[in-house]
Amino acid sequence: MNKTALPLIVALAAAPLVLSGFQVTLLTEILIFALFAMGLDVQMGYAKLFSFGHVLPYGIGAYVTAFALLHGWPLPLAVGVAFVAVILLAVPMGWLCTRTSGVAFAMLTLAFAQLGYAIVFKWTSLTGGSDGLSGFVRNPGPFGFEGFVSREGFYWLTLAVVVGALFLAQAFMRSAMGTAIVAARESEKRAVALGYEPRSLRVVAFSVSNAIAGLAGALHAGFLLFVSPELLHWALSGHVIIAVILGGAGTLIGPMIGAALFVLAQHQLSAITDSWPLVMGVLFIAFVIAAPKGLWGMQESIRARLAHRKTNRMGVTNVAP
Amino acid sequence: MSLLDCQGLTKKWGAMIAVDQVDLSVNAGEVVALIGPNGAGKSTVFNLIAGATSRTAGTISFAGERVEKLRASTLARRGLARTYQITCLFPQLTALENVRLALQSKEAGRLNPFPSAAMAKRTTAHALEWLGRVRLSSNAHTLAGVLSHGDQRLLEIATALSSKPQLVLLDEPTQGMSLDETRATVNLLKELLQGTEMAVLLVEHDLEVVFGLADRIVVLDQGRKIADGLPEAVRADPAVQQAYLGVGNAAC
Amino acid sequence: MNAWQLLLTLLLNTLALASLLAMLTVGLTLIFGIMRIMNFAHGALYMFGAYAGISAARLVDSFWAGLLVAPLVAGAVGSAFEYFLLRRLYKRDGGSFLLITFGWALAMSELVRLIWGSNTRDVQLPEILSGIVMLAGEPFPMYRVFLVVFGSATLFALTYAILRSRLGLLIRSISQNAEMTHALGVDVGAIRSLTFAVGCGFAGLGGFLAVPLITGYIGMGGAAIIDSFVIVMIGGMGSFLGSAVGSLLVAATQSFGNFYFPDLALVVTYLLMICVLLLRPGGLFGEEE
Repeated sequence: MNKTALPLIVALAAAPLVLSGFQVTLLTEILIFALFAMGLDVQMGYAKLFSFGHVLPYGIGAYVTAFALLHGWPLPLAVGVAFVAVILLAVPMGWLCTRTSGVAFAMLTLAFAQLGYAIVFKWTSLTGGSDGLSGFVRNPGPFGFEGFVSREGFYWLTLAVVVGALFLAQAFMRSAMGTAIVAARESEKRAVALGYEPRSLRVVAFSVSNAIAGLAGALHAGFLLFVSPELLHWALSGHVIIAVILGGAGTLIGPMIGAALFVLAQHQLSAITDSWPLVMGVLFIAFVIAAPKGLWGMQESIRARLAHRKTNRMGVTNVAP
Repeated sequence: MSLLDCQGLTKKWGAMIAVDQVDLSVNAGEVVALIGPNGAGKSTVFNLIAGATSRTAGTISFAGERVEKLRASTLARRGLARTYQITCLFPQLTALENVRLALQSKEAGRLNPFPSAAMAKRTTAHALEWLGRVRLSSNAHTLAGVLSHGDQRLLEIATALSSKPQLVLLDEPTQGMSLDETRATVNLLKELLQGTEMAVLLVEHDLEVVFGLADRIVVLDQGRKIADGLPEAVRADPAVQQAYLGVGNAAC
Repeated sequence: MNAWQLLLTLLLNTLALASLLAMLTVGLTLIFGIMRIMNFAHGALYMFGAYAGISAARLVDSFWAGLLVAPLVAGAVGSAFEYFLLRRLYKRDGGSFLLITFGWALAMSELVRLIWGSNTRDVQLPEILSGIVMLAGEPFPMYRVFLVVFGSATLFALTYAILRSRLGLLIRSISQNAEMTHALGVDVGAIRSLTFAVGCGFAGLGGFLAVPLITGYIGMGGAAIIDSFVIVMIGGMGSFLGSAVGSLLVAATQSFGNFYFPDLALVVTYLLMICVLLLRPGGLFGEEE
């Protein structure tokens, strides 16, 4: 991780000591949404799989966590089992969806998410229907550990999970498998000629992406202590796509920044105007046309160009990538 | 025993016969050129061998094992590399990354989900070495899609050869190149192949390239093999001259 | 009512709904065929046309005015979007189109809500279209018969135009090979824009026609886009026949489904699409991938 990361993490860790309770809550919300967006980036930014159904693993993660908490399981265990459940579902679903690509893939993922929404909405006996599930708490444990029960404690848990996930995701994208995933999206033929199986790589990217989203959903359940079908509504899929584009697809950090901006904008704009979705839509269009690399992507290109110019002037030809 | 051995290779698209009972073999260290007029079936034979198309009949053996049922990616892992008639690279990745990925794909840790600094360093160093050999060092950090056509063909050769395959299928490697570029590429290929046991199966239209590189020439016409032998013998073969309808040109 | 009458009722409902869905989807197919873009904003245009048509109808107290205005307004909006924004993306990859039309859908849905408010809206049917028609002893709303007739006629006219007219020929040739057509001296850009506008116009028309059936409401855009995507996926992108067949299939699952398994009707529609996509990823009549 680069040099600016550590001070930022420290600042975030110290935040609850100086910020108000409301601000800590807002920061928690931002972190969860940032994790959600970062997960989408793995399949959208790196594998170029445009999923319009990213809410599905998010919602499943949330509901499974809620079920577990309602049955008295300790929070970490509940999150863990939700994580596993999402992965178990993501692999076969990824195998099915990667039968198609491009628009068809987007529509298939949307269809699965809609299916999920419909099931959660209608199966009232299991999911509470449109009323959702509530009345659960952050059960302490294992061994009676209570650190995450308070608002600040849960914030620190969320921060730890998000930072850890980001670190692992970055490492993954740098690994042989990660670079192979990028190669497969660049040219399937050439990837095959190198002995890679593009379809399998896509399933891996899809599964990893979904797993992260599931984790975010699980944290959401632990955060709000309430889950409803709204978590599976396709509008939310749209919001996370916007966050990724705004921040910059294919950078992992960019979408997290985009997510932070999105949540903040949503809070600020909805106070001023009733039609913040209009502003978001227009902004989104502007970014797709004029700034397709997003904010973080743009600053990366600017930095790269400056570095290149500097080394050219210095006469260096062999620059480490 | 030959490295590659095709017996009775046949491909039919419905009623149309693209490849008809072709026997073809390549020995280790040998350069075999596959030539023939347009529509002779050369690219189809290539695709059959590389596993990109399924055969209608015939057998293909590679390194002693029957491989005709294998997928293209499996064959690649067994030591078969190929270039494409229409350049096929990773366009948004740098020339360096293109070659590095080819090297990575041959490592034991090619699918390692955890980053390995050692492997990254190793593959990068080798990639830079290869780029040097094909005279593309200065373009190491240029995006492959932006390179000139000639440089792209060179990069493709580098990616194919760097993975140290047992057999390389080169599909019209000098296609679209100028006379100078072509001659330079032929010399480069000779240089790169020297001292290795790499076998090459080469499809080419440019007969100067063919006679410059080939140890043996196989001639196809309308899906059937009409000649198979040393360059001088093939050049003099009346059936071959007939097939080309008098394209026994002075450049040979 | 006996079994036959029930079957007839459900079949006629299916046909009416299918006409509506086909109207919505044919525009999407037209746009995809010529531009290879899946217009995510198609549902929003559907809604826009509905509301604009309702306003026009109220203004001059005529249903027919609405029927005329809806496609024109939707077509105009589509035209403007294509001219000012979409054109800039022609050199980029397909992902950008998906994203930008999605942003357009979001912005336009919100615009509709701003202009017309969140309440549901209705339109007054003219004498000739309200009332009941008796078929095989069952009462059947006149409007649904109108939908089937009008829908089929419009689609037939469109198909005829595509297959027989010179413009239709140009559209088809651009769909197959735009560069070649351009090389022959045809103004491909102009025809693309025109086709896009027509496609959007059909969406608006469909929206207005839907109002007497489902009332105009915020959110009808969302439902419409998902339905039309399901149909296009089932029928195959870029295939008119596919859109027609897909519309019938989806309308059938919804009509019969709503009657027999009211809670599961929606689920069945999605399962249908998933099954089709698994067996034939390109759709029933689409291009094999």
